[in-house]
Amino acid sequence: MLRIGSAEGFYGDDVTRALPMIEGGQVDVVCFEALSELTLAILRRDQMRDPKRGYTRDIEVIAERILPLAFARKVPLITNGGGLNPTGAAEVVRKAAERHGLQGLKIAIVTGDDLLARLGDLLAAGEALANMETGAPLTLDGLPIVTANAYLGAKPVVDALAQGADIVITGRVADPCLYLAPLIQGYGWAWDDWDKLASGIVCGHLLECTGQVVGGNSLALLDEIAPADLARLGYPIAEVESDGSFVVTKTPGTPGRVSQATVKEQLLYEMHDPRAYITPDVVANITTLRLEDDGLDRVRVSGATGAPRTETLKVNVARLEGYSRELIFTLGWPEVYRKEEQMRGMLATAWDGLPITRVETQRMGQDSLFGPLVAAPNDPIELVVRVMFTADDQETLKTAVRRAMALGLSGPAGMSVSGQSVGADPRPLLGLWPALVSRAVVEPHVSVTVTEVA
Amino acid sequence: MTETKPVRRLYELAYGRSGDKGNIANVSVIARSSETYAEIKEKITSERVKKHLGSLVQGRVERYDLDNIEALNFVLHDALDGGATRSLRLDGLGKSLAGAVLYMTVDEE
Repeated sequence: MLRIGSAEGFYGDDVTRALPMIEGGQVDVVCFEALSELTLAILRRDQMRDPKRGYTRDIEVIAERILPLAFARKVPLITNGGGLNPTGAAEVVRKAAERHGLQGLKIAIVTGDDLLARLGDLLAAGEALANMETGAPLTLDGLPIVTANAYLGAKPVVDALAQGADIVITGRVADPCLYLAPLIQGYGWAWDDWDKLASGIVCGHLLECTGQVVGGNSLALLDEIAPADLARLGYPIAEVESDGSFVVTKTPGTPGRVSQATVKEQLLYEMHDPRAYITPDVVANITTLRLEDDGLDRVRVSGATGAPRTETLKVNVARLEGYSRELIFTLGWPEVYRKEEQMRGMLATAWDGLPITRVETQRMGQDSLFGPLVAAPNDPIELVVRVMFTADDQETLKTAVRRAMALGLSGPAGMSVSGQSVGADPRPLLGLWPALVSRAVVEPHVSVTVTEVA
Repeated sequence: MTETKPVRRLYELAYGRSGDKGNIANVSVIARSSETYAEIKEKITSERVKKHLGSLVQGRVERYDLDNIEALNFVLHDALDGGATRSLRLDGLGKSLAGAVLYMTVDEE
């Protein structure tokens, strides 16, 4: 049996939840999944300020607080938190390892997913990089492209583990493939054993959002998890057999719950066609699997099936489209709707002539989440209006805020504005361009480098 | 005076979770029992979900059935005002959308 722990589901997660798993001897390997569609763009912004950055800073916590214990217990760590700069992240890890005297520690770096510098060559070589949603071919002119990363599969991570890596740092390896890798390496699964690969992918998918399979974000468990426990859930562990079947459980002695309900909730999270969950290594089918109770906080998962992997990899290209700002206005009874109308008219005049590209207003607590699903009350006691506006440049938005604030004593009766929203920075808006790219132009560029701490 | 039947919302029969991928959201609707699964499967069509969500979802709605775990999966296209990286919605990640679907009445009104 191989036991995989999961201690990160997004950049900013509490990675120290790995500690009790490793201390308790509950896991053979721990994975840290750090990259959402948004994360790489955030990392690009960091890197533009400081070229040494571009990785998730959770790596610093992993290196300082988890790696010394994991190395002593021979528990390898795998993370895609290297983001845009796995090499820079490895440097941080190496320094920490030296400080902690982790002599002989092997650090593996996986690169080759970042296609930004290669986009022109790829287009010239006949890769259309057409938008998967619209079919339009990619062009390089127009708004600046900030990131372009292919989703890699488990292969380079398997290679790194086979070379004895104690920590594997990657860029954009697809989330569930981080978890599949130690299974392929440990059990020697063939790269065309589709059912086993699919099981490993389902296992990774269930673990990759950490708290979400142990009671976090769970409507089903609303009554079962004490409010205070949401802040200290024990993160998930999978006990995987060589045939691919596995038990989802969690760190023993910690709060939280694993039940068929939590497993079902996470199984369908961010899932499209359940018969074709497309990943770089296999196309998984989750409609064939079975769930069975296996004791308290233990659910057995078996029977996932797989179809051959596709000939292409997904690549996400992100363009900087402009910036947005938010102002939150509060209006109290009476006549809140008439005052809202005054506010809108006032802003429209104040912003006249500014190159603002879009303005959206939402009534918080009425239609800001669900739109006009339910009719608005006739005479509400209070109204909180969120005004969102965008421009190509940040300066326009700052001017717009200044002009709005200058009307502080001229506006609707009793209107106030949230001070926090006035002081905030503009937020970059990124257009994502999901496309497919041939494996043949990406995989030869993927490299695994293993170095040893002296 | 005619007696009106109490409104039954989908939440009584199911729970669920929503998430995002680009500008596409998905909502799982997981039955609380085998009996409720049969009823949900019959009554909660993709057409009804599309109509219920109105302007929240600009694109098509697809339904996938998972008899093995007694759940439905709804995929909502063009549902997040461009996706989390550019959406002006308060909930650009669509985390709350499951609630919007569970607010549906089980029977057509």
